[in-house]
Amino acid sequence: MQNVECVTDNPLEPPSGNYVLEAHDLVMCFGRRCVLNGISLNVRRGEVLAIVGGSGSGKSTLMRQLAMLQTPTAGSVTVFGTDVTNISEFGAIPLRRRLGVMFQDGALFGDLTVLENISMPLREHTHLSLHLIEQIAMIKIALVGLDPGDAALYPSQLSGGMRKRVAVARGIALDPEILFLDEPSSGLDPISADAMDELVLQLKQTLGLTVILVTHDMDSLWRIADRILLLADAKVAIQGTIHELVDSNNEVSRQFFHGRRGRASGALYG
Amino acid sequence: METSAEFAIRNSTAHCLGYWTASNLHEIEKRLCSLDWPGGAIRFDLSQLDALDTPGAWLLHQTINELKADGKEVLISGADEQVKQLLALVNDNSGAARDPPKPYLPGFLESVGRHTASQFQQYQEFLNFVGEVAVVIWRLLLRPWRIRGALVVKELETAGLNALPIIGLLAFLLGIVIAYQGGIVLRDYGASIYVADIVGLSMVRELAPLITAIIVAGRTGSAYTAQIGTMMVTEEIDALRSIGIAPMEMLVLPKLIALIIALPLLTVFADVMGLFGGMIMANTMLGLNSATFVDRLGEALSLQSYLTGIGKAPVFATIIAIVGCFQGFRVFGSAESVGRQTTISVVQSIFLVIIVDSAFSVAFSKLGI
Repeated sequence: MQNVECVTDNPLEPPSGNYVLEAHDLVMCFGRRCVLNGISLNVRRGEVLAIVGGSGSGKSTLMRQLAMLQTPTAGSVTVFGTDVTNISEFGAIPLRRRLGVMFQDGALFGDLTVLENISMPLREHTHLSLHLIEQIAMIKIALVGLDPGDAALYPSQLSGGMRKRVAVARGIALDPEILFLDEPSSGLDPISADAMDELVLQLKQTLGLTVILVTHDMDSLWRIADRILLLADAKVAIQGTIHELVDSNNEVSRQFFHGRRGRASGALYG
Repeated sequence: METSAEFAIRNSTAHCLGYWTASNLHEIEKRLCSLDWPGGAIRFDLSQLDALDTPGAWLLHQTINELKADGKEVLISGADEQVKQLLALVNDNSGAARDPPKPYLPGFLESVGRHTASQFQQYQEFLNFVGEVAVVIWRLLLRPWRIRGALVVKELETAGLNALPIIGLLAFLLGIVIAYQGGIVLRDYGASIYVADIVGLSMVRELAPLITAIIVAGRTGSAYTAQIGTMMVTEEIDALRSIGIAPMEMLVLPKLIALIIALPLLTVFADVMGLFGGMIMANTMLGLNSATFVDRLGEALSLQSYLTGIGKAPVFATIIAIVGCFQGFRVFGSAESVGRQTTISVVQSIFLVIIVDSAFSVAFSKLGI
C-alpha cells in the first residue's frame, strides 16, 4: 500500500485527514433495485484503487458517484474535504477541475480533432495563449504514447486503444489530482492493455496522480492496483491488497481470484 | 482558496514563487514574452515554488531553452525532487510540442469536386436501393405468404393510427386559414358561398395530400432513418444478415407496405378535417350555415378531384418510406451520423414530395383533369 505521508504535488487544500476522497454509506437505487447499498470507502493521496466485481455489481455506478457525475439516493461523498452530496452544478466546477475522468469508450467529442479534444479543458479553464495550450496538449499526447501526427485526426479515425489514450490525455489535461478510469484495458489487445497499465503507473509516478479504476482485468489488478475493493450484492465484499484478497477465505473473493483466470494471472505475478 | 504565481528578477537571479499552475500562469506568460533579461549568467531559483504542474513546467522549460538559445548560461537551483521530475518529463516529451499538425482543409475547388462526386455517388446508391427494393417486392409477390403481416400491422399502428391527432388538428387549422383568407375577398364581392369551392378544391386536390405527406415525412420517415441507422451503428443489421434474415424483407418492406396503406387513409382523414375547419370558419365569419356549405361542396367537388388528391398519396408514401430507409442504411460509424442522416432524410423526402407534387400538377393540367 502507498504510504500515507507521501509528498503532495499540489497542496492547494489539504484533504481532511489523509484522504482525498471519502464515501459514507452510499446507497443508489433505480426504482426498487438497489445497485449500491451502504458502501463506505476512503482513498489516500497517490494510491491506485481498483474497484472490481461481477457484471452489474454497480462498479461503474460507484465510480460515477465518486466522480461527482451522479447524486446518490442516500449517503455522502466527500472530495478534497468538501461534502459534494448536494453541491450545486456551479459550485462543483472548481472541484471537478481537480478530477479527470476517462470514460469507457472515450466519450471524445466527435467534431473535434484529437488536439482540440485535449486542448478543450485548458481553453475553458485557463487564460493561456492558444499557442501554449496547443504545445501543452501535444506534450500530453506524447505522454500517453500517441504519435504527434495523430493530433490532427478525428475520433472516428482512431482505433479503440488510441481512443482510450486520447481520453486519458484529455482527462489529465488540467493536471488533475485524481484520475478516474472506467475499464481502461477492456476491448484492447494484450499488448495495448499492457501499455495502458504501464501508462497508469507512469502517470502515477511522474504526476503524482491518485487513480481510481474500474476493471475486469486480472493482469491490471496484479500489475497496478495498490488496493482493491471487491463489490458483491451491492456491498463491499472485501477490500485490501491483491495478496490479502487472494489469501482470504471470503467466498466472493475466492470465486473471483481462484477461478481459472484469477489463477492464471496469480501464477504469473503472485 | 485564491492562489497566484509570482516571478521576479533580482541581481541576475530569477525567482519563481507561488503556485505555477495552469490557471495562474497567463500573466507570467505575457511578462516572459516581453522581458529584458540581464546580461551574463542567469540563475533560476525554484526553492520558493509552492506548486508546479505540467503547463508551469513547460513554460519554465521554454523560457530556459530560449535563454540558452540566445547563448546565455542558465543555472537552476532549489528544485525539489517533484519539480525535477516534472522538468524532466516535459523535456522528454518536448519533441512533440514543437509544431502541432493541423487537420487537412481542402481548398474551394477541391470541396466543390468532392461534394459533386459524393452527390453523384449518393444518387447512384439511391438508384441501387430502389432497384433492390423492386427485386424484393417482385420476390414477395411470387410468395406473398412471406410478407410479415404482424410487422405491417405494427407499422400501420405507429405510422397511421398514432398520427391521426396531429394530422387532424393541422388539417383542421389549415381549413380555417384557407376559408378565412378566401372569405375576406369573396365577401366583398358578395360571393361568400364560393368559399366552399375554394376550401373544397384546394384541400382535397392539393393541400390535404401535401400536408399529410409532409407531416408523415417528419414524423415517420425520420423514425425509419433513426431506427435503421441505430441498428447499423449497433451492428444489428449485420446480425440479421448473419442469422439469414434479409434486412430488406424484415425492415424495409413492412414499412413500405404499411405506409402505402396508411398515407391514403390519413389523407382522407385530413380531407374531412380540413373541410370541417373550412365549414366552421364559413359559419362564424361569413354566416354561411353548414347545410348550405355542404350543398355547395357537393357541386364543387367531383369524384375526379377527390381521386386525384388521394391518388398522389401512395406515391408520396413510397418516396417517404424509401428515402427514410435508404438514409438509414447510409449511416456509418458513430451515433453522430444517425442524427445527420435523419436530418437529410426528412429534408430529402419533403423536397421530393413537393417536386413530385408539382410534376403531378403539370401532368394533370396537360391531361385536363
